[in-house]
Amino acid sequence: MDEKRKIIEFKHIVKNFDDMQVLKGIDLDIYENEFVTLLGPSGCGKTTLLRILGGFIEATDGQVLLNGEDIKDLPPYKRELNTVFQKYALFPHMNVYDNIAFGLKIKKEAKDVIDQKVMKMLKLIGLEGYEKKDVTLMSGGQQQRVAIARALVNEPAVLLLDEPLSALDARLRKEMQYELKRIQQEVGITFIFVTHDQEEALTMSDKIVIMKEGEIQQVGTPQDIYNEPVNRYVASFIGESNIVDGRMVKDEVVRFDDIDFECVDKGFKPMEKVDVVIRPEDIDIVDKEKGKMTGIVSSVLFKGVHYEIMVETVPGTTVTVNMHVQKNSANVVSEGEESISANDFYLDLEDMEGIDEKEIIARADAQAWIPETDENISIANISTDLKQEVGEYEVTFSTSNGTSITRKIRVIDQRVIENKKANEAISAFNFFKTIDEIQESMALDTDLRVWANAQAWKLTDEDEDIELNVDYDFDAESIHEGIYPVTFSTTGRMFKIHTTKYCEEGKEVGLSFQAENIHVMEKMGF
Amino acid sequence: MKRFRALAIPYVIWAMLMLLLPMLLIAFYSVMKAGNSVLPFRLTFAHYIKFFTDPDFLLILGRSLLIAIKTTIICLLIGYPIAFFISRSSEKMQKTLVLLITLPMWINMLVRTYAWIGLLSNDGIFAALLKFLGFKHVNLLYTETAVLIGMVYNFLPFMILQINTALTKMDKSLLEAANDLGANKVQTFRRVIFPLSISGVVSGITLVFLPAVSSFFIPKLLGGGQYFLIGNVIENQFITVGEWNFGSAISMIMAIIMMLSMMAVRRAERRSGEEVSS
Repeated sequence: MDEKRKIIEFKHIVKNFDDMQVLKGIDLDIYENEFVTLLGPSGCGKTTLLRILGGFIEATDGQVLLNGEDIKDLPPYKRELNTVFQKYALFPHMNVYDNIAFGLKIKKEAKDVIDQKVMKMLKLIGLEGYEKKDVTLMSGGQQQRVAIARALVNEPAVLLLDEPLSALDARLRKEMQYELKRIQQEVGITFIFVTHDQEEALTMSDKIVIMKEGEIQQVGTPQDIYNEPVNRYVASFIGESNIVDGRMVKDEVVRFDDIDFECVDKGFKPMEKVDVVIRPEDIDIVDKEKGKMTGIVSSVLFKGVHYEIMVETVPGTTVTVNMHVQKNSANVVSEGEESISANDFYLDLEDMEGIDEKEIIARADAQAWIPETDENISIANISTDLKQEVGEYEVTFSTSNGTSITRKIRVIDQRVIENKKANEAISAFNFFKTIDEIQESMALDTDLRVWANAQAWKLTDEDEDIELNVDYDFDAESIHEGIYPVTFSTTGRMFKIHTTKYCEEGKEVGLSFQAENIHVMEKMGF
Repeated sequence: MKRFRALAIPYVIWAMLMLLLPMLLIAFYSVMKAGNSVLPFRLTFAHYIKFFTDPDFLLILGRSLLIAIKTTIICLLIGYPIAFFISRSSEKMQKTLVLLITLPMWINMLVRTYAWIGLLSNDGIFAALLKFLGFKHVNLLYTETAVLIGMVYNFLPFMILQINTALTKMDKSLLEAANDLGANKVQTFRRVIFPLSISGVVSGITLVFLPAVSSFFIPKLLGGGQYFLIGNVIENQFITVGEWNFGSAISMIMAIIMMLSMMAVRRAERRSGEEVSS
């Protein structure tokens, strides 16, 4: 391929809005005749970068070179660039012809030259015969084409497009993607296209620039970015992917889920923590003896051309606790006008440190009220002989009028269930409730988690909570006194697989993939 | 939705009756005169003929139209730049400026006009200022200039507010687009901003011209007895002379003239829109 000429150079562009840094030093070269896409979620600074190039806002720091010249002091109307705006910004008081001819008239070109150029543009965008149409009466797609023609007719060196397809419906957007690519190839100039839609970026671009929070994450061809994402963010933003935590055992060997796999990546430190990406279409489902790993099919979705199959390779972690269901009046004491209620509860020896009265009230679910008026009153006093030792203690809650209730606190050395393979730990407590409390619950699953103080977290990062599923087989409507098991579980490791072969749910299968389908990425530094 | 729309019908009928009835009554008065005991009213066009054959009335009509046109043009020339300035300032500033423009309207128009008598009188500050600048015979009050000042003062806010509304609701990306396509500030104004503000200009003209043409207390207070406008003639016919029929006829003539002039303005608007774009 010939050496392409640089047309635009961003040199360490910084932009601050008030005290927010929107662009944190962008360095980027854009070449002749390229279709470049700036891709990122809203607020990543992609539109800001485009507007700096267009001249509508000024960079706080850095340089923009157009054909090797700094364009900082050039107002927009002197820049050899044209923009297609997000909402087209067609002039409502002009017809199609006059909108397209606007720039040429400003440049005072001869009437017949204008005529020729406008007609050529109308042909390019496929709107011949529409020149006298009122732009405000046209469809979104047609307005979009006029906006593109209005910009292109000035023969800019670069065309800037600011999310030009976002206002169109899905079908039209697809059509315009091909259209835009065709137009770009036909006129042969550089297009800089801003979007948050990864599919748009993949189908149209020669080069994709992925941005996040004012920084460039990766620049490359769609193939590069899809096959070789540099980090977890890029991998999850472009296409669907399975991203798992792993460790690089040595060059070309990566370990995840306690299994060592061959891969083609190298250059990491021994046992360095890494993110591993496997695209759903790169995994095959095979017999369980032939797979590199095995798992159980947990769901199958039909997606048209393929099935999306979820396979659980590492089962989730579970813990079962006992729910002691008591008679309704068992936890209530009434004295004079006041009633007070509280439950026995279990407490982890580890949680004893720093426990305060508020926490004790919450755990015992202690409440006081006046039955006649249903008015809640506060619990004024708590006395307990609680010690930091395994054992049974008493706690007494009382109101300012002296109505009081005494309950038990059972301090235990709580067993945390660790699942090293899935990198998870889970814990939950037995608990006491009355029938009413269970039946009055508005969201029983959530309440059960709170009552049992059920928690799960990553072994490697205790602050990262893991969502818990709740399982029980009692019917809240007809529950009575007794002990009921409640099971909390995590989801485990799931792999998403795209395949054309159907597979039964619940079947044990093997998963197979090639060494080159495993892509190892450095962990993102935060 | 339909059910609720039906609920509005009595209101619409009531409003239309209340709006139309006085006008119909005036139209009726204008074409009748007192008859005999058998037929109390008789149809006649004598009032219209009287108006158009009397050179004095025609002179006053011409003078009224002329001063209204002058008022409108002055309001437009002063109002547009002010409105443009307001629309370009920050949002907070815009609110303050619009408040300042509307502030005088909180005071009764009659009282404000009375205040101008003091300002324009021979020992008022304007006369003093002009004398200081070397003008010998300063006589402001009870002249056409005084009436013109009074009218511009009273009607200018309407012009500013209308144009300002049209300018502020304009999509800012249109200006960026014009800029992007190579238009500098002047070209952007001429080709985009001004054509798109025409609707505001037209409603501004309407809101200034209509009350200016039929105003009667401004010429009465600031023009003294010497400066008679059509509004004063109508007032006179109704209140002093007691010729309700003739007064009604003049009102009808004015209504038709206003209607025609508004049609002309709208026509001009449409034509100017086409001109700019071609």
